[in-house]
Formats: sequence, C-alpha cells, structure tokens
Amino acid sequence: MTPIVSQIIEQARLAARALAEFGGHLLHPTVRLGVTGLSRAGKTVFITALVHGLTRGGRFPVFDALASGRIAGARLSPQPDDAVPRFDYERYVRAIVNEREWPESTRQISELRVVIDYQSLSGAMRTLTVDIVDYPGEWLLDLPLLDKSYEQWSAEALAHSRDAARRTLAAPFHAHLESFDPLAPADENAAIESARLFTAYLQACRDERHTLGLVPPGRFLMPGDLAGSPALTFAPLDLPSGQEPPAHSTWAMMRRRYDAYRDVVVRPFFHEHFARLDRQIVLVDVLGALDAGPEALRDLQAALIGILGCFRIGRSGWLGALFKPSADKILFAATKADELHHTAHDRLEAILKRMTAHAIARAGDAGAEIDVIALAAVRATREAFVHDQGGGLPSIVGLAAPGERASGRQFDGKTEVAVFPGDLPSDVASLLAGDAEANRKPTRVRVRNDGFHSIRFRPPALEQTADGIPALPHIRLDRALQFLIGDRLR
Amino acid sequence: MTEQLRKPAIFSVDDPRLVVAEPEDTQRAAVGAMAIPETPFERMLGTPALPVRRMRWGALFWSALSGLILLGLGVAVTSFVEELFARTPWLGAVGLVLAVLAGSALLVLIVREAIGLARLATVGSLRGRAAAIIESDDRNRGRALLADMLSLTRQIPQLARARTQLEGHRADIIDGRDLVRLAERELMAPLDAQARRLVVSASKRVSVVTAISPRATVDVVFVLINALSLIRGLAMLYGARPGTLGVLKLFRQVVSHLAVTGGVAVTDSVLQQVIGHGLAARLSARLGEGMVNGLLTARLGLLAIDLVRPLPFYDQPRPALSDLAGTLLRSSENEAEPDPAGRPKPPGGR
Repeated sequence: MTPIVSQIIEQARLAARALAEFGGHLLHPTVRLGVTGLSRAGKTVFITALVHGLTRGGRFPVFDALASGRIAGARLSPQPDDAVPRFDYERYVRAIVNEREWPESTRQISELRVVIDYQSLSGAMRTLTVDIVDYPGEWLLDLPLLDKSYEQWSAEALAHSRDAARRTLAAPFHAHLESFDPLAPADENAAIESARLFTAYLQACRDERHTLGLVPPGRFLMPGDLAGSPALTFAPLDLPSGQEPPAHSTWAMMRRRYDAYRDVVVRPFFHEHFARLDRQIVLVDVLGALDAGPEALRDLQAALIGILGCFRIGRSGWLGALFKPSADKILFAATKADELHHTAHDRLEAILKRMTAHAIARAGDAGAEIDVIALAAVRATREAFVHDQGGGLPSIVGLAAPGERASGRQFDGKTEVAVFPGDLPSDVASLLAGDAEANRKPTRVRVRNDGFHSIRFRPPALEQTADGIPALPHIRLDRALQFLIGDRLR
Repeated sequence: MTEQLRKPAIFSVDDPRLVVAEPEDTQRAAVGAMAIPETPFERMLGTPALPVRRMRWGALFWSALSGLILLGLGVAVTSFVEELFARTPWLGAVGLVLAVLAGSALLVLIVREAIGLARLATVGSLRGRAAAIIESDDRNRGRALLADMLSLTRQIPQLARARTQLEGHRADIIDGRDLVRLAERELMAPLDAQARRLVVSASKRVSVVTAISPRATVDVVFVLINALSLIRGLAMLYGARPGTLGVLKLFRQVVSHLAVTGGVAVTDSVLQQVIGHGLAARLSARLGEGMVNGLLTARLGLLAIDLVRPLPFYDQPRPALSDLAGTLLRSSENEAEPDPAGRPKPPGGR
C-alpha cells in the first residue's frame, strides 16, 4: 500500500518539477545529458574530453555544428543545483594533459553546465545549455533496488554470495550469518558487525578483477558522506519465507534500514539526476570485462539489464514531454576503444550490441533512437602493423600504464610498447550464453591467459602550443556528440 | 568455438617488423571482415531506375551505320587524295597532310568523348558505392570512396580548402557512413548551392524568353538549347566533365527520367503549380506558358543534379522544386508570392 502511495507522490512531484522547468526551457533550451556507466567505465574522462572539445573547439569532423562553423563558442556556466559540488573539470584536464594520468575514481557526485552559443540553420543566434552529472559508478548499482523489498533483495544477495566464484570471498560473512537469528530481538552491535562483514565481502568482490563486483548496494563501496549512518548499517539475512517480521526483531530493524536506504539515499539520487534525462549515453567497459573472462562479462550484462530497466526511455508527445520526460536518444558506447586496433571495433560493437540487446529492444519499442559505437574519449594510442610470421598483426602503440602486466613483464609507465591484444571472438552468443558446462570448468583462467588481453595506456603526449592546449585526440567522440546533441543544434 | 583467434602479443617499439602506417589490403585481410552484399543502388537512391532495354537492336543499328559511314568516308578521302596525287604531286601531299590531321583530330575527339563517358560512368558508380556504404557502414570502403572523391574533385578550385581538411581526416578513425556524410558536407554542399543558382537562372531565362518570344518554334529551340547547356553546366560543376556525347547521354537519361517521374513530381507540387500557373495565366496567357516552361526546366535541372552528383543526397537537403519555384514565381511575376510550403530555404537558393 505505502509503496504505491509514495510512488504516486513521487510521480506528482516529478511532473510538477518538469512543468516548472518547462517554461524556463522555452527561453533557454536545455539538454540534460545522462552519462551512465559503472565504475571504471570512463565517465569522468568522457565528460572531461567532451567539455574540453566543446570549449576549445576540438577536432570533431563528424559533429556537424562545430565542423561547419556554426558553433560560435561554448563556455562553462554556473550549475543549476547549489547543493551539488562542481565537476572539477580543470583538475581533470590538468591530470590528463600535464601529468598524463587518468583521473582517479570518482567519490562524489558533481555537476557541470556547458552553454553553447550557436547559429541555427535558419540563421538565428541561439544558445543551448547542456547539463552533465558525474557520480561514482557504484551508486548506479542501486537503481534496481528501487523496486525491491528487503526480503527480495536479501534472498538475491545471499544467493549471489553463495555462487561458486564468490563463496570463498563471502566465507567470513556467511560464518557470522550462521550465528545470527533474524527473529531474535535487535542487537545494534551484531548488526554493525554483520554490515561490516558484508561490506568487506563487497569490497573483496570489487577488488577481485575477475568478477568486477557488480553487487548492490553501491553506497557500501563508495559511501560518500553517509559512512557509518544507520541507513548504511544493514545486511542480508537468512529469512524464513511466508512470515512477517516480529516487532523489535533484527529482521524488522534490517528491513527498516533497508527501506530507509532505498527511500533516503537511492530514490533522491535517481530522481534528482536520472528521472528527467533528455539524452543518455551508456558507457560500458567491455574490454575490462573481456579481460576478466566470460563470467565477468555475464555479470556486467546482468547489471546493465537491471540498471537500464530503471530509466525512462522513449519518445513522447509534447504533453508527455511536459509531465513525463524521458530520454529519446540513447547511445551505447564501448569505451577504451583505443586499446584495440580499429579493425577490431566492429566486433567490439557487436559484443556490446549483444550484451545490451534487451535494453536496445525495449528502447526501440518505446520509439527511442539507438546507436552502438566503440568509443575512446581520449585516444592514448596510435596504430601500427606488425609483420609477424603467419600474417600481420594489427597492433597499437602507446605508453603502457605503470603496473600493467603482459607476458610476464611489468611496465613502469615509461616504456612504449606495441600491443596486439588478441582477436575478439566473433561468436558473441556463446560467449555470453549461460553455458553451465563452461561455468564449471575453470575457463575463466584459460580465457584470461591466452584469449584476449588488453593493456591500459597512459594518456597521450600533447605538444603545448602558444594559444593553449591543442585538442585531445579521440575515437568517435564527435560521432557520439552528433548523435546526442546534433539535432538540438540545427 | 571453431574460429581461429590469434593470441595476444607484445612487441617493443623498435621491433623491425613494426610498420606504423599499415597497408589497406593487409589490414582488410587481417580482420576477416564479413562480406557485405552489394545492394543495388538504384533502389536506395530514390531516383527510379531507367526502363531496362532487353535487346539493344537500336544500339547495334546505330553503331553499324556509323561504322559504315566512317568506312565510306575513309574510302572517299583515300580515293580523293589519290586523285590529287594523280593530278599534281604537291597538291596530293597537301591533301595527305590535311587528311592525316583530320584523322588524328578525330581520334583525339573520340578518345576525349570516351574519357568523358567513362567519367560519367565513374560518377554513377561512386554514387552507387556511397549508397552501399551508407547501408553497410563499412569503414574501409568508405576510405576508398573518400580517396576517389578527392581525386574526382581535384579539378574544382573552390574546394581546395575542403579537400585539405578532408585529407587531414583520412587517418582518423571514422566510420563509413560518417565518411560519406563528411564528404558530402565538405565537397558537395558548396556545389549544391551553386547548382541551385544555375537551375534557377536557367529556368528564369526560359520563362522570360517564352513569354516574349514571337513564335512557338523559337521557344522550342531555346528550351532545348538551354536545357542542354544547363545539363552541361551542372555536370561540369560536379566534376563529371562529360564530352558532347556525355551531355547528350545525360540529356536522354534526364528526359526518360522525366517521363517516368513526371507524374509523381506533379502530384507533390501540383497545388503550388496550379496556383502559380493560375495567377500567372490570369495576368497573361503568355506569362502562363512561360511559367510552365520555366518549371519544366527547373525540374529537368533537378533530375540532372541527381544524375551528375557523385554522392546521393544523404545528409544535405535535396533541392526541391518548391525551393526553386518560389524564386521563379517571384522573379517572373514581380509580385509578392507567398512562400511555397514552409520549407527552410537553402542558403544559396536565392
């Protein structure tokens, strides 16, 4: 009963906000660009490169408005939300260009507004405002929780932790769970201990590169300013089915905290930043998952399906646009495409297409426009060809990032190497199918060791000219821009 | 998995086997790229296909006849020169030299015409390839097309800057469809504007001359000559540079397209033509005729653009009769005519 009421209230609030903003948007057209991606997908780099390209007039031949000279200029402008930190664009640009380091992982939500002055095709001077939000990718994992009760989530989380691959990581948590009676009166210290062990298990999952740790709740991994609050002090329990929790029991307490987490932490995050998107780009680190093996790939796919199911997608009439805004263009991008030779990009796109087939079909039904590309917001490599025995190998050359290993060598971040990362499989279906047999055998290790192995590179060296920083090289960033906001700049 | 996947490998940068610029062919073989079936471009172009001729008896007849005439001419000249020799040797020598000169000039003419026709065929095949690339988004073929477009437009001076820019983008990783779009925007868009101007001025000329000409035969001859020069001008503009035969061939194609599409095109702009014609006709029957002829020339020009443009209209707006008709009506009637349809005006349209 209550969830329905609260949902209706939420919808009404959203509609009211959309209506209130509608008037403002008539005067100042605004695009809310949703940059969606799990952690390490490259959200921060994407936003930085995008803003840099727009404000500095990057090399974007496919982005019509810029290439044909209709964009007079783009500038950063004060963001609309006063309570949200500003996206630290200058620091990230410095990191990439001067120190040649990738920005460290995002811990905080932040926001940026770019105003583009352009001349429309009919000759009128206009402005377009683009609002972009950056946030820790871990938080995105929480979105599927919006529709789940504590009991549902608890059962799923426990089943997940008892998977063959994760069981060893979750052993301490399981041990604690054994000694824990959900029907007994609530004990704060036991709850804290349980939450601590559960968080440790989630951390272990994430640090283990094999599985990429795609397990909610995401704030446990990246708490922001909520660390230690009761909303973050809960854990799944072994619950008897078909029962109501007795008052003052551990179960009741955990359930209350889970509900608090969902309503106080997750729902505002979603509604503030994702419920009213105009355009969406979904960044997916397919190569990282491929490196980690088929299991990680399937995990990633499952997480994507869960997350993308939460978004409002589709074309709506003007009345719909007024009361129920939804993203009408969605771009799926396999990031870090510069770790492959361009001849392999088609296969990379095919893999991503297959992984997001579910979301693509749904978006297509809803009338949204979809595209799938291989993208590198900042291109760190150049291409080469190695004439090896048995035909040539299309390779890439770049400065390997410190700590990367390949064929028994560890790089110090100062050596340039040519890398052929291996062929991507063209048979995507069998790669992703829940092959029970393949699951039991330790295929993960085999694939990881000799099938495909990509290497991270440091950002490219740029020559600094007198009039500022030259544009960052990229792969298909212009195509992404053209797709996402090109039609709004006509 | 049955396919053979190559293993990862690492090389140092000073490895002698490393080549930074890779040859296109090896690269293509290396991908094991999927073969994309060629889609017949006529279907995607939006221009209706010419009626297919089954038996080329007509062509055979004309070829045989012209061969015969050429043969007869050759024999006649030979005997004439022999006659000259018989009369006076120096006159014969002069005759021989003249005959040789004429013969070699004819040869050059024939070669030039053949090259012109071949260039026209190239333009057609470029268009077909571009349409196929738009469908398949094939990167390698897009690059090849871009290179061919650059060499085709090398003779067009106003594209120098655009060509330089495109040369700069050739090494970038851009997909096939985007390459076509890029080539269209950079190379075709400036020409499109000029082509519109050509068509508009030709049809203006025709409508004015028709309105003031004393005799119907003068109209017909003028319309014909004007149409031929318009087609030639458009072909030159887009870099096709056809010879006389090429222009005639184009003219025949345009006219047969006009016969096929005439009905279709009438329906899409019939209203505005009726209004235009009605208004003009009310002023004067002459003026009305002029309008009709002018519109005919405009449509002919638009069809010719479709045939001589090396890329199909993909991202750039295709000039439509309604764009041009507005200009036409205004200019020939000298009175305020409401903008036909709410179409955005092309930048160079007026």
